[in-house]
Amino acid sequence: MCLGIPMRIVEIHGVNARCEAKGVSREVSLFMLQDEPLQVGDPVLVHVGYAIQKMTPQEARSTWELFDRALAAEEAAAPSGGEHV
Amino acid sequence: MSATRSARDWLERIHALPLRGRVRIMNVCGGHERSITRAGLRTLLPAEIELIPGPGCPVCVCPEEDIHQAIHWALTAGVTLVAFGDMLRVPIDRPRREIRSLEQARAAGADVRPVASPTEAVRIAAAAPERPVVFFAAGFETTIAPVAAMLAEGIPDNLSVLLSGRLTWPAVAMLLASGEPGFDCLIAPGHVATVMGPEEWAFVVREHRIPTAVAGFTPESLLAAIYSTLRQHLEGRLFLDNCYPEVVRPGGNPEARALLRRTLEVVDAPWRGIGILPASGFALAAHSWDARRRHPPADHRDRPRAGGMPAGCDCARVVLGRIYPDACKLYGRTCTPRTPVGPCMVSDEGACRIWWTGGVRAPAPAEIPAGVQAP
Ligand code: SF4
Repeated sequence: MCLGIPMRIVEIHGVNARCEAKGVSREVSLFMLQDEPLQVGDPVLVHVGYAIQKMTPQEARSTWELFDRALAAEEAAAPSGGEHV
Repeated sequence: MSATRSARDWLERIHALPLRGRVRIMNVCGGHERSITRAGLRTLLPAEIELIPGPGCPVCVCPEEDIHQAIHWALTAGVTLVAFGDMLRVPIDRPRREIRSLEQARAAGADVRPVASPTEAVRIAAAAPERPVVFFAAGFETTIAPVAAMLAEGIPDNLSVLLSGRLTWPAVAMLLASGEPGFDCLIAPGHVATVMGPEEWAFVVREHRIPTAVAGFTPESLLAAIYSTLRQHLEGRLFLDNCYPEVVRPGGNPEARALLRRTLEVVDAPWRGIGILPASGFALAAHSWDARRRHPPADHRDRPRAGGMPAGCDCARVVLGRIYPDACKLYGRTCTPRTPVGPCMVSDEGACRIWWTGGVRAPAPAEIPAGVQAP
């Protein structure tokens, strides 16, 4: 039941939208995203007929990646640092 | 780095960690358990890592009395009973020859309809304004927020709600307070955090020193969360990680949370087979929405096991992560998805059903004669 499906908005009419995923099209309520500026083409996460959040692509998937990058940058900046790209 | 790491990358990183002993990582979402089982993650991870399915199935903990109530109304109160499809096959405490589920009530002529969205419940009620319609809504925060949206938007007069909504974190709080949580790291539910915000899970790290990461439902996201909690565990550097940043933002979805606050109250609530957990349930804020105020209560007097799990069913301990599904004596023997004994074998989010569907078969019936120890 907690299955959220990423869908793309293809048409907005008022508080509802027609969304699509893998060729399947559904009527979705945007009632829970009324403060979010949404446009046709935006990907949203849909659960039981309601868009619960807009999806935004992210670079890092764990805070460890940021920690490690910061550490690597520090090492690269230090005179003895070497092989960091 | 232009794209996020692949599942294979995360797996390699996990295998490179200097694990020294068993680490038990609990998830609290049926969706997580399904992704883990489908992708076969258990067989791909180092042997030290145990992935434990925990309290992640709202249908499994939905009070037996509520289901009985719904069946009772469907059969006697002249109502149309709508419910999420998962609820229809959950058996209650009744003799086998009697009606034990909403599905059987429907077969006996009751007007029971499965829905996939609260908007369908509204549509069904609007199409027949003369007929009372009861929406039996069980679910965790992710599902109850849309129910709140439905209420806030306005529902037809003939529609009322039997609400069995639950919050996920109080079950984890209960496990942690028990002194024997049964896990060393926690994977927090991605869609609950999408709605409620990841901050709800900060107490696990802060108060209980348990490494925690919010995860999504792809192998990449789950493996990232597993990696994150393991590394927190190994390095002793603990924080609440967010491995599902595409949709999990600080504060969650503020609009959804405002709708929940406006239409529902948080109350102490019973969990089937487990007991009452403080501040773990949603209750309707307005009496006018409450089906219990419109229709007569069901009688539980002739039902000695009311509220519990069916006889022999270990679902409550499965839900709490105390045992694995295949440790139940009935798993795969009398209990399969075709002939479910307990709710954990009915729901798509129940660990028993997920394991059985994923190919986990019951250990062969004991071939060792009684009294003889296995080598
Ligand atoms: S296998 Fe069936 S009887 Fe056993 S715990 Fe799971 S649902 Fe209950």
